[in-house]
Amino acid sequence: MNQKADVVVIGGGVIGTAITFYLSQRGQKVILIEKNDLASGASGACDQDIILQSKNPGIHLQLALASSQMYKTLEKELDYDIEYENTGGMILIETPEELKIMEDFVNRQKALGLQVEILNYKEALRYQRGLSNHLVGSTYSPQDAHVNPIRLNLGFAQAARRYGAEILLETEITKIKVKNNQIEGLETNRGTIYTPVIINAAGAWAPSIGRMIGLKIPIKPRRGQIVITEPVPPFVMGDVLSARYIVAKYNPELYNNSESAAVKLGVGLSLSQTRKGNILIGATREFAGYDITNTRTGIKEILKNATRLIPELKEMNIIRAIAGLRPYTPDGLPLLGPVNGLNGFYLAAGHEGDGIALAPITGKIIADLITDGKTFMDVTALSPNRFLM
Amino acid sequence: MPETNEKIYICRCEEVTKEEIEQAIKDGATTLSGIKKRTHAGMGLCQGRTCQRLIAGILSKEREMAQILPPTIRPPVRTALIADFIKED
Repeated sequence: MNQKADVVVIGGGVIGTAITFYLSQRGQKVILIEKNDLASGASGACDQDIILQSKNPGIHLQLALASSQMYKTLEKELDYDIEYENTGGMILIETPEELKIMEDFVNRQKALGLQVEILNYKEALRYQRGLSNHLVGSTYSPQDAHVNPIRLNLGFAQAARRYGAEILLETEITKIKVKNNQIEGLETNRGTIYTPVIINAAGAWAPSIGRMIGLKIPIKPRRGQIVITEPVPPFVMGDVLSARYIVAKYNPELYNNSESAAVKLGVGLSLSQTRKGNILIGATREFAGYDITNTRTGIKEILKNATRLIPELKEMNIIRAIAGLRPYTPDGLPLLGPVNGLNGFYLAAGHEGDGIALAPITGKIIADLITDGKTFMDVTALSPNRFLM
Repeated sequence: MPETNEKIYICRCEEVTKEEIEQAIKDGATTLSGIKKRTHAGMGLCQGRTCQRLIAGILSKEREMAQILPPTIRPPVRTALIADFIKED
């Protein structure tokens, strides 16, 4: 069966479906191709945070702020319950060294317009009960929120279909057709699709799509394990992270000399509670290839870390562990935009742990670039060409 | 399954009905994981121990039983107290 489209999006996660939604909304004829199922990769195996505070003050935070603005009306636009809640969030601080780094981090975030403050231990307890008394304090921002990532993914897909998009599941690409450096279409196990524009939104699998046309995309799968408790009455205030997570992400040298299992696995607290009451306890950041199994050490270190910060968690039962592959990039920023020298080929991948937070803004930016050739902010720093040239 | 006007609950933990599972299949789910993500069937306390076979039965109307793969098996095998899990070996 041969088909024609204005745009073909590769990847049925939150990023691919968001792009498909925003493009379809503007009247583009979009076909989305997904090898397995919607939410079958990282988008279906992650936490639910739309956390602004964890973003490096700079373009990363700017993107997150713009995205969080879009989230406020998204449920209505999609006409789908995505379980969005503006809960607020905090980052727990354990040592004076972390406090110093977080004070600087918070000041730079404030300068970009984020509402965020540092609390002492007593003040922190007002927002989250059960905090271990070894804590120095925490940050707090009323702007953090969360969303059910699977519902978000399904909601984007359903709304995109309403605007005429076609979503092909269990469809595998066998060849990308290029002529005179211009995208012409692609071949799949279900037939040929002619299109002048292809968007690679395959997350951790984006490099394998790139290889089909000789592009070396520097994305690596980084496994994030998360543990899930039984449903319990409201306990977690919103999104609760630990400063160690931030410091490990942006100042890794502080922990480099440590030989502990937790540090090797990149364990940092990420805590939130679903509408049904399950608490999601995360997470590791490990390079383990494309292996999505949970490990005993991973689960144990996650739980040891979480109970060290909030001892009451010990009394809860776990029912499930999950693991997803976050698409890591060498500089921590996603690859968004057209690829030089290959007309019609775009990348929208490499969000690592921020895919949920950044899905709406990514969809908008890519839709802007494709329909108008420009977008509302300077996205040069996100260009895939920073690695591909 | 008997024909009745009343709701038939397939996943008791998450209170997911037969009708909701059939709708998920209509919406494109072709695997047990796909049905789980669309309906939450199997996400509850028992983690699909009761409903997985029933759901596979419903799905087999659309897809050969032999093609229906089990969903991803994940720890813990049964509900476990966190305090027990973090004890040193």
